[in-house]
Amino acid sequence: MSARNHEQWNAQPKLQSGEWVDSKIYSDEEIFEEELEKIWKQMWIPVCHESELKNAYDFRTMTIAREPVIVVRGKDMKVRAFLNVCPHRGNMIERRPSGSFAKGTPSGTPKTMTCMFHAWQFDMKGKCVNITRKEEGYQDRLCESDVGLRELKSEVYFGGFIWVSLNDNINQTVEEFAAGALDSLAPSVNEEPLEVFHYHKAIIDCNYKLWHDTNCEFYHDYLHYHNRITGFNDEYFARKNTGFKGGHVNVGSFEVQYENYEGFHSREELSFPHLPANQWYMIDMFPGVNFNLRGSALRSDIMTPLGPNKVMIEFRGLGLASDSPKDRKIRIDHHNSIWGPFGRNLCEDLIAVTGQGATMASGSESRQILHGRHENETIHDENGMRHYYEEWGRWVGRSPSHPDQPFVEPAETA
Amino acid sequence: MSVNSAETVEKIKSLIYKTCLYQDDCEWKSWLDLCSTDFNYAIRAYSPEIQKDMEYMGGPKEYMESITGQLRKHNIDDSPLKRHGVVYRVDLAEDNKSATSVTSLTVFQTLLGGNSSHVDSGTTGIFLVGRYNDKFVIDGDDVKFIEREVRLDTRRLDKGTHWPI
Repeated sequence: MSARNHEQWNAQPKLQSGEWVDSKIYSDEEIFEEELEKIWKQMWIPVCHESELKNAYDFRTMTIAREPVIVVRGKDMKVRAFLNVCPHRGNMIERRPSGSFAKGTPSGTPKTMTCMFHAWQFDMKGKCVNITRKEEGYQDRLCESDVGLRELKSEVYFGGFIWVSLNDNINQTVEEFAAGALDSLAPSVNEEPLEVFHYHKAIIDCNYKLWHDTNCEFYHDYLHYHNRITGFNDEYFARKNTGFKGGHVNVGSFEVQYENYEGFHSREELSFPHLPANQWYMIDMFPGVNFNLRGSALRSDIMTPLGPNKVMIEFRGLGLASDSPKDRKIRIDHHNSIWGPFGRNLCEDLIAVTGQGATMASGSESRQILHGRHENETIHDENGMRHYYEEWGRWVGRSPSHPDQPFVEPAETA
Repeated sequence: MSVNSAETVEKIKSLIYKTCLYQDDCEWKSWLDLCSTDFNYAIRAYSPEIQKDMEYMGGPKEYMESITGQLRKHNIDDSPLKRHGVVYRVDLAEDNKSATSVTSLTVFQTLLGGNSSHVDSGTTGIFLVGRYNDKFVIDGDDVKFIEREVRLDTRRLDKGTHWPI
């Protein structure tokens, strides 16, 4: 058989259950809404890095599953997270991406979060400290203690990343949530403070899981001339893909031969602490976070799903806070020559997932997406994606291969 | 301004516009031939998100020659870019041996593939906005770029590009 007709095209692949997924999970509006409720609103999500809020009264804003979030550093230097929503009439309290509340605003006094709409004010612990014309309007029916901000669970963990959960009842710490997936890089990122030096964003017409898949599987290194020429040796093909409880995946390391790409050089001199020269680790955290350490520069991808076929990816680059200006410049070059918006690899990955997004747009015909490569759980094995989708099925309650059917634990299938 | 200075200013403007044409046409060698051996290139932007000045791409002439020479080996987005530059000012040094300039820049992208070429090809949109902040060395009639900073406002760059701006 060569090319196939419609019936043949839609026939079940000659693979085992779990070795393919139905593309409907990348395109269906109803499934997307379920994902926001059942996954994104339940998990720990890293939202930024502590170096983005260095001083008391600094803040960053973001969203999780459409909910506006603000992270602030209090006078006690503790980081707290709140819904960025005024309890009065639901206005967004702070519109800027970052800044400081140390100075006053046109509607408010210093050291408070002030809703510009009616000038209600809140301190860095989320307590309402001023309701304008309170007695005149509310008499004794409502007071400041009734209208504090909604505080969200937050933790600083893994090299200073700030993790937030919309789930008040989450019963795990971030460490427990990570289930060991972050351990391979923990000594390198926790040895000394890190600092963000790079930020840019992409909004791409594809499902967030397609970007996560691309980070999980390295079979697509055929896409990258840089990776083929600096990798693709016995050591590369022996890299292990390891799944961790919770759908997380860790891709093992090897020594990258940067000199093989004309104009590039070894990164040995600026390796992160405890990291052998030119090593490259990748950690993919469920449901859509990626940490990627190429010797001298740490990259993080934080995804914000915007629709079944739209995702925002925020790319950060991090180095050591103690970097000299000269070392920082080199580190930035190392990061951006591959991963920057004008780098050698990142735009290739984004072009590829855009192509997937186009064929799996909402309303498109369902097709089978194969995750069936078995190579002893090494670099081109697709066990990372299989591991992810097993967890995905568990949370959403749908079979990834047959999303109109309920998820069944693999052991029960056997 | 003397006649000679006015001629140098016009020469500088002409050089800037030549870079736009050469880069639009992906004639990277012709672009870099307008630059001195000590030329440095950088794409930078200030991020209000992390409150830091950033460098997205950069390097000396040799590095730019190297990476542009390898473009054919990469899976690039072939959607053409067109640079619309307007030279706002050129400032000559008193000794007439160097100059700086500021050029307002808008780069348009006309999609070839886009998300789906059937729908998107031929669609033009703004890819980025910013400025060229250039520096020149002047040796008699010879004017060459010694430095180009592409200073971006745009930080949402979606698929990005392999091409220098």
